[in-house]
Amino acid sequence: MTRVWRETGFVENDPWVIETEELKAGENDKVLLPLDQLIERAENSNDVGLGVLIKPADDIRKLEPYLYRLEIVAVEFPAFNDGRAFSHASLLRDRLAYKNELRAVGDVLIDQIPLMLRCGVDSFAVKNATALKRLEEGRLPGIAVHYQPTARQADKAGGYSWRRRSA
Amino acid sequence: MYRYDEFDHAFVTSRVEQFRDQVTRRLAGELAEDAFKPLRLMNGVYLQLHAYMLRVAIPYGTLNARQLRMLADIARKYDRGYGHFTTRQNIQYNWPKLSDTPDILAELATVEMHALQTSGNCIRNVTADHFAGAAADEVADPRPYAEILRQWSSVHPEFSYLPRKFKIAVTGAERDRAAIQVHDIGLHLKKNDQGELGFAVYVGGGQGRTPLIAKKIRDFLPEEDLLSYVTAIVRVYNLFGRRDNKYKARIKILVHETGVEEITRQVEEEFSHLQGTELKLPDADIQAIAAYFAPPALPDRPEGWAQLAGWKKEDEAFGRWVSQNVQPHKHPDYGMVTISLKPIGGIPGDASDVQMDVIADLAEEYGFDEIRISHEQNVILPHVALADLEPLYRALIAQNLATANAGLITDIIACPGLDYCALANARSIPVAQEISTRFGSPERQAEIGELKIKISGCINACGHHHVGHIGLLGVEKKGAELYQITLGGSGDEHTSIGEIIGRGFEPNKVTDAIETIVDTYLNLRLSKEEIFLEAYRRVGPQPFKDALYGDAKAEAA
Repeated sequence: MTRVWRETGFVENDPWVIETEELKAGENDKVLLPLDQLIERAENSNDVGLGVLIKPADDIRKLEPYLYRLEIVAVEFPAFNDGRAFSHASLLRDRLAYKNELRAVGDVLIDQIPLMLRCGVDSFAVKNATALKRLEEGRLPGIAVHYQPTARQADKAGGYSWRRRSA
Repeated sequence: MYRYDEFDHAFVTSRVEQFRDQVTRRLAGELAEDAFKPLRLMNGVYLQLHAYMLRVAIPYGTLNARQLRMLADIARKYDRGYGHFTTRQNIQYNWPKLSDTPDILAELATVEMHALQTSGNCIRNVTADHFAGAAADEVADPRPYAEILRQWSSVHPEFSYLPRKFKIAVTGAERDRAAIQVHDIGLHLKKNDQGELGFAVYVGGGQGRTPLIAKKIRDFLPEEDLLSYVTAIVRVYNLFGRRDNKYKARIKILVHETGVEEITRQVEEEFSHLQGTELKLPDADIQAIAAYFAPPALPDRPEGWAQLAGWKKEDEAFGRWVSQNVQPHKHPDYGMVTISLKPIGGIPGDASDVQMDVIADLAEEYGFDEIRISHEQNVILPHVALADLEPLYRALIAQNLATANAGLITDIIACPGLDYCALANARSIPVAQEISTRFGSPERQAEIGELKIKISGCINACGHHHVGHIGLLGVEKKGAELYQITLGGSGDEHTSIGEIIGRGFEPNKVTDAIETIVDTYLNLRLSKEEIFLEAYRRVGPQPFKDALYGDAKAEAA
């Protein structure tokens, strides 16, 4: 069972769904649209509050004209060893200055969540049992000192320009 | 050398505790092996043929005596009394227990060491010229930049799950001793016409099953842009590097398939956004890191010149060792000493705990507490007064560490091969041992001159066979080991990939084949000054093919 987690805790009644052959959005659900469908919808309507699902091979920069109409961007980690979404998240925050919700979906594991947070991801659709358990217990395995500036703002620390410390 | 500050200590300590937690979860069955694997790999823990293997990082190959003693201690306490120095300037332990690894990492942290990112699909240990900071021909010390890159790449959140491993090498001299053109990124530190420091940037070199020489995509990158530019390269790679086939996942394939012009365009486009951001290196920071690498104050020792001449006259073996294993230093009264880990008939790159302890003592006594590991699997004392060479030599002899073969035919690079490695198809160590024994006589080696033999036990090319003057690749054919020979490879500023000379040789025939090649060279060289590689480049493969596979030998086919 998938639950959505943010640093403030688990989110109940999250409306966003990824549609598949088996799963269709219900009445109170909102759809995370594939990139091409999002673009089509945005071009042909004045809708705002949209959601999009970015697949690993998608070009995140295509979102640029539509950012103000997005309530959420979901970036997909299809497997723990596919790290493209780390760059998508970084570009979305740093380059495109996207401010709304940025969600990790797919294979979201406890040891990767701290890295995702640092790349600017701020919500997580979690299925993995160990990850859920650790998050419930409030036990994130992150390290507070960092050797590189990233999308998530952190205080300068440690004397050199590239070092940061998380609050 | 670089010293940890509080920030570094906090980082490494938390990282050890993080890994301890992961190991605990693994041993408790909470973490599956496939999910644990990338985590342990990023902490240097491999699963090999017989046991776990721990690879400890020696950043850019630089160590002090205290650190080397710790490596000896770990060999004694957690392994079987030895360690194996690798072609990436690291050390491997072949027999640690998984449950001990967090304790080993905690002990390493007390001497400012770690095993971070010595494996896994992340940015690996940054390597550099092993003579950095001492070589007479150096423009500037590359190690401050290697250290900045080490820090920046440590647990980089965006670049911890790349398509494949990523290796960066830095050199600060025209003479490339760091093999930068066979790295994912090669950086050549140099000065422009205004006397400012910057880098020529090479991308997409590598060995493995598809050896490719890196392409230069920038002739001069100002030093302040180092992290911005490297970030641009790695980001392009992370997004577009192939993930469908692990054998095509290195950046060299991306560069090859995309084309160097298009890759350069993509990198420059990304860099245009990153230049001048938080990643820009302030000069004060570069200077602060560089200050750690200030050379020791070397007092003049001019008496060494006359002493050295006298010692050489008295002892021919000592003279051979000096001419082979001591290189010119920036300071004329000093030399850079190569301590060979290639005893005749021995295992290339192995050192016992006692040997490590002795080298640590000698580094303190004669070498200003500085030690380097070379990618050729030897140990270097970079600052030794000529006046101290003789007592140093005597002490090394006692530990079988005075083999006078640096750069010669018995200074063989070999991967661990089928004796240890889960990937290997063939053994490397016994082949190296046999060749070393065959050519072991000092006179014969001196006659042959500079000749680099490199041996890999499989196509992954950890033994760098592609860039060996003579390369040996172990393959498996119909259940038996077979060695393919390549000639003419080189890993320096004139990098070339060796050419396969013909069909392979069985284990019991391979040393004879090497001897045939060497004899052919001796017969055709123009003079003793024309080394094997030059002669090969002049005459090409044919004379060697004729000698190996000519009429007389055709019947064996």
